[in-house]
Amino acid sequence: MTYLIALLPLILVCATAVAVMLGIAWQRHHASTVLTAVVGLNLALLSLVAVHQVAPFETLLVAVDGLAIFGAVLVLVSTLACATLAHAYLEHYRGPREEFYLLLLCAAAGGLVLVSSRHMATLFFGLELLSMPLYGMLAYAFHERRSLEAGIKYLVLSAAATAFLLFGMALAYAQTGRLDLAGLTAGLGEGGGAWGLAGAGLILVGLGFKLSLVPFHLWTPDVYEGGPGPAATFLASASKVAVVIVLLRLVIESPAFAHVGVHQILAVLAFASMLIGNLLALTQANLKRLLGYSSIAHFGYLLVALVVAEGLAVETAAVYLVMYVVTTLGAFGVVTLVSSRDISGDAAALHHYRGLFWRRPYLTAVLTVALLSLAGIPFTAGFIGKFYIVALGVEAGRWWLVGGLIVGSAIGLYYYLRVMVTLYLVEPGMQRHDAPHDWGTRAGGVVVLGLAALVVLLGVYPTPIIEWAAALGVAHG
Amino acid sequence: MTLLWIPLLTLLGVLVPVFTERYGRGVLSLATATLPAVALALTLLQIPTLLEGDIPRVSLAWLPELGLDLAFRLDGLSLLFALLILGIGLLIILYAAFYLSAEEASGRFFAYLMLFMTAMVGIVMADNLLLLWLFWELTSLSSFLLIGFWSHSSEARKGARMAMTVTGAGGLALLAGLLLLGDMVGSFDLGVVLESGDAIRADSRYPLMLVLVLLGAFTKSAQFPFQFWLPHAMSAPTPVSAYLHSATMVKAGIFLMARLHPAIGDTALWGWIVTLTGMATFLYGAWFALIKTDLKAILAFSTVSHLGLITVLLGVGSPMAILAALFHIINHATFKGSLFMSAGIIDHETGTRELSKLGGLRKAMPVTAVLVSLAAAAMAGVPLLNGFLSKEMFFTELLDTPLLGGLGWLLPTLATLGGILSVAYSLRLVHAVFFKPAKESPPKSPHEPPHLMRLPVELLVTVCVLVGIIPAVLATGLLDLATRAVLGEALEFHLAIWHGFNVPLLMSVLALAIGILVYAMHSHIRRLARQFAPVDARRSFEQGTQTLVAATQAITLRLENGSLQRYMSLLLGASLLLATLGLLDLPTLAGDKPSQPLDGVLILGAALLIFGAVGTAVTHRYRLISLLMLSVVGLLVSLTFARFSAPDLALTQLSVEVVTMILLMLALFFLPQKTPRESTAKRNIRDLLLAGSLGMVVASLNYAVLTRDMSSIAHFFMENSIPGGGGHNVVNVILVDFRGFDTLGEITVLALAGLAIFKLLNRLRLFMPHSDGEGRLWSPDRYPMILTSVSQALLPLALLVSAFIFLRGHNQPGGGFIAGLIAAVALILVYMARGVEWAQSRLDFQYQPVAIAGVAVATLTGLGSWAFGRPFLTSAFGHFHLPILGDFELATAMLFDLGVFLAVVGATLMILANLGKLTTPHRPSKEPATTTPGKEKKS
Repeated sequence: MTYLIALLPLILVCATAVAVMLGIAWQRHHASTVLTAVVGLNLALLSLVAVHQVAPFETLLVAVDGLAIFGAVLVLVSTLACATLAHAYLEHYRGPREEFYLLLLCAAAGGLVLVSSRHMATLFFGLELLSMPLYGMLAYAFHERRSLEAGIKYLVLSAAATAFLLFGMALAYAQTGRLDLAGLTAGLGEGGGAWGLAGAGLILVGLGFKLSLVPFHLWTPDVYEGGPGPAATFLASASKVAVVIVLLRLVIESPAFAHVGVHQILAVLAFASMLIGNLLALTQANLKRLLGYSSIAHFGYLLVALVVAEGLAVETAAVYLVMYVVTTLGAFGVVTLVSSRDISGDAAALHHYRGLFWRRPYLTAVLTVALLSLAGIPFTAGFIGKFYIVALGVEAGRWWLVGGLIVGSAIGLYYYLRVMVTLYLVEPGMQRHDAPHDWGTRAGGVVVLGLAALVVLLGVYPTPIIEWAAALGVAHG
Repeated sequence: MTLLWIPLLTLLGVLVPVFTERYGRGVLSLATATLPAVALALTLLQIPTLLEGDIPRVSLAWLPELGLDLAFRLDGLSLLFALLILGIGLLIILYAAFYLSAEEASGRFFAYLMLFMTAMVGIVMADNLLLLWLFWELTSLSSFLLIGFWSHSSEARKGARMAMTVTGAGGLALLAGLLLLGDMVGSFDLGVVLESGDAIRADSRYPLMLVLVLLGAFTKSAQFPFQFWLPHAMSAPTPVSAYLHSATMVKAGIFLMARLHPAIGDTALWGWIVTLTGMATFLYGAWFALIKTDLKAILAFSTVSHLGLITVLLGVGSPMAILAALFHIINHATFKGSLFMSAGIIDHETGTRELSKLGGLRKAMPVTAVLVSLAAAAMAGVPLLNGFLSKEMFFTELLDTPLLGGLGWLLPTLATLGGILSVAYSLRLVHAVFFKPAKESPPKSPHEPPHLMRLPVELLVTVCVLVGIIPAVLATGLLDLATRAVLGEALEFHLAIWHGFNVPLLMSVLALAIGILVYAMHSHIRRLARQFAPVDARRSFEQGTQTLVAATQAITLRLENGSLQRYMSLLLGASLLLATLGLLDLPTLAGDKPSQPLDGVLILGAALLIFGAVGTAVTHRYRLISLLMLSVVGLLVSLTFARFSAPDLALTQLSVEVVTMILLMLALFFLPQKTPRESTAKRNIRDLLLAGSLGMVVASLNYAVLTRDMSSIAHFFMENSIPGGGGHNVVNVILVDFRGFDTLGEITVLALAGLAIFKLLNRLRLFMPHSDGEGRLWSPDRYPMILTSVSQALLPLALLVSAFIFLRGHNQPGGGFIAGLIAAVALILVYMARGVEWAQSRLDFQYQPVAIAGVAVATLTGLGSWAFGRPFLTSAFGHFHLPILGDFELATAMLFDLGVFLAVVGATLMILANLGKLTTPHRPSKEPATTTPGKEKKS
């Protein structure tokens, strides 16, 4: 029974996927498919309360602990947001719409497995279950060249990265003879190991690819730009959250993994991601690409917590993750809504947004809040996250990383402001893509507005999140 | 609690203009002014408490986890600044009501202005370092909104962005500095921080923290070398320039230095950095103020210069210097505020700010002329005006400072030089605008502005004059409180106009005299200045950004050209680097396990294997040849298994290899024979290098792993195969027993995949070639006789072999999987030899049910164990004796294996046979089979 309760969210999500699949086979109906998916996801979210009761629960393969619940909440919330956004987005899509939710649910199941994995087998399984449906989601608008290209690029590169991940796992296994994360990292840590470093490095390649850290980031802008809005949203939120949680487990839960070499690699990756991500974002004229680059930079910031890996590192990472997810969902949500009118290519070029304020003031306000939060301006959620990272870096005396963060943020400020100014420009003869007039009363619009409110709320009163994260920090630090 | 109301009132004030905009400009500005006026009154009400020596403080917990409290204080320093901010803010609101044109969104403007006022009040009243920083960032943001208010002008947008980027970056440095400071003290509470000055100065991290904090202060207060953003922020509406860029925001940096002086000041490092930076700024600003021709630019640079002056005083840091600094803050705010507003009036009335187009305005605007002259005189330091007093104190302090030791004379000299320049530019400002005859006539004919618009200027100039004449009465009280707050103790001082004949007076007189002289020679100076290339800060900043942008664009183009090949090569390169790092860590490549002996067969096999692999890659453009090469690789891998005593794997590999090859061949039918050449030689070389090195590194890693001891689970299976599963064939036992559940899943997937492919092919319409590349028709002799006869003979034999292999599987190489593949291959052979039509009529059963039956049998076997009260898929086994085959063991696993067999046969045939049928009339498509190939081609 405990088993069943502990795995309830996963079971519910999978059951919903099956239900959606059978529904499609029986009778295609967009609204009811969305409804099924949303209800299932909400039930899964609710079931986490029950899971919390049995919380620290471990089997050989999965650990349902605080961190897993934390990750599951983020994954499920992101998926819910994606599902509602997809509803708005696919409304005008000419083609099968219902399968998207099937893929979305499968990917969410993968994310749930991943956040609670404590074994290489579940890690790999979760990662693949998360990625496979994404290929389909990214290429969903397959008559659209960019979308198809995005899907194929992600497929090929992801396969290569996965190959390295597997090879790394094999090497690590050969070194230690263990496949559970704790045993494996302990084994790697104590011996130093003949080829353990290579194994750990290659595992990092695989995970770094999913997090799009420099230099494994190259796919990010192309895929973000090409993929349909909801798919890109999922990629930017749930998918990354799940991988970060695994990395957290690897790096922080087992201090043995904090092998000197691995730490240095992580520090280099963090520094490069912060700088290069922000620098390359500077010249982008496409909002989705820009968000892609900015997400690279943001995971560079987040990695600082993993490099430090002591003190408040878990708490910092958790806080940052929440703030990032809320903000990103908001930003991508607006892009998705603005693009939802017309499926032939997303409206993501900056000139589409010129003067948006004069047409859709509230939607613009949402985007502005999200951008401010990404830039880390006070009284938004993003600020709290950045504050934590700076504080952690300063406390640990990682001056290089703090310096990179400051320089990166300054560059970031510049391009976020550029977008913001564009939103308020008045110019004659504008107006092309736009959100439907009644966007505010549709589910997608409500979600986006709620997210913006949440960004501000968490920026002003983040105490609940901080307490939650602190509890995680105590349990896992 | 009243303390909390001061920032709260201004914050509420943000909403007022939004709601009152519709009632017209007059109501709007009046309503907007109400709340700050109340706040000002509240601030003034606190003075009695302050005079008693108490410091009103209020603190509410906000985010105790971060050390952030909503804590405010109102000591003398805060009071001084709060009065400035609220007082001048009220004047600005009055002024702006007339300044903005009717069609501009004045509601938005006033809302931004109030937001900014809130932020400033927050900074000066904050009693918590983090809270201070929050408001600090808020000023950056609101000033961005204000500077960019005229967002239609690209000048304004660029200026705003530059200001925001510079102050924003400084703000982050400040955050790092403050966090460090908080870490050193253990609290962010201002009271605690100010008391632990000694501990802070003794800390080893002090220099770093100091630099970070000063970076924040310098960027905000436009100190050298960050001064460049301020003149360009002047593209803002004039009320903004007057308020932000002379009276308040740029003083935030100064405020911070004054505020933290007790905690982090008073060291040699502080003295050096702050004084020298201030002096450089002082001179730099004064020089550019002299040579600029735009009215607001002159004022902007003079602001930079005066900020430098104040910074120098803070750097010197003696009690009297602090007093002088605070005094000059008040004075500068009054005269510069009035000058800016006057510049706005002139701009408003004449339509230009260019000095060359202005001139002789004293006739048209006599009152303004008097006001500007007085304010400029105060700026120049003419006696009887407030600027004179603070400048005198400035000179005095520089003469006394021990800084620079033997070079101590340098500071007063430079200060006098700066004084000379200030006199010159002040004079020029007044003379050029009001007295010199105009060279060209201004765009509009000027006259006096409405009286209410001039009122703020009049008020400020009155303050200048009054303070200049009776300083002791007007300024002493406020300054006493403020210095007490900075120094922690009361300072005995006496403000007076006359101190007798002394060196500072001499310096003042010198500055005045030479300054007039310098202005007289102004044309020479202009000529001198013109010889230097003009340094346009915004252009350099823009150029800097442009260079950066160009560089990033170049990188972007190189990295992100959308080419998958390039992404892949970079991904591989990065992984290679990481793997190589790991290899470098190894002491020796070979481990301690002995190598196996090499013989001729092995070497030959390895050579063939390498040849096949290389051949596959080299001939990849010729698909058929490449495929043949690939089959060589596959075959050799199977042989390798056989050679190293894994016959079982070898068998599996072999049959899988055959089936895969058939599949590929079938697919090949639909592809062009050749791939066009796409890669350049350069890319080929790159790929070759990358692939070669990657291969070497991975091979080395593998070698390293293979030559060392490692633990593996193989032993467990070896030992448990017979006792646990009752079979000698370990692979088979694993498949059907130990990992039975996995296998069940796998065959389900296999069957599903087969079904999916079958369904996919249903809709597929492919071009059916009927001639080859050179136009020759496909051979009419489609079913060669020899193959036909051989296949017919082979079929029963192959099926027999398949059955045999199936039965022996549990103990010897074989099993359901291999048997299934063999049977499938044999059936496919019939298809190939006799054609679909012939085979179809004889194999008249569907494959889908076979595959599904297989899965069902396997599942039922598993379920069967429940009937015996055992867990799912428990296997039982026993020995039986059959007449011909001999002693032989029957296990429930066998039944399970039968399921595997059926599933494999069904799925494989479903895929292969249907793929093969695609080009025949028996294609599994939904449309009638009567369509002829010719018609198909056209569609």
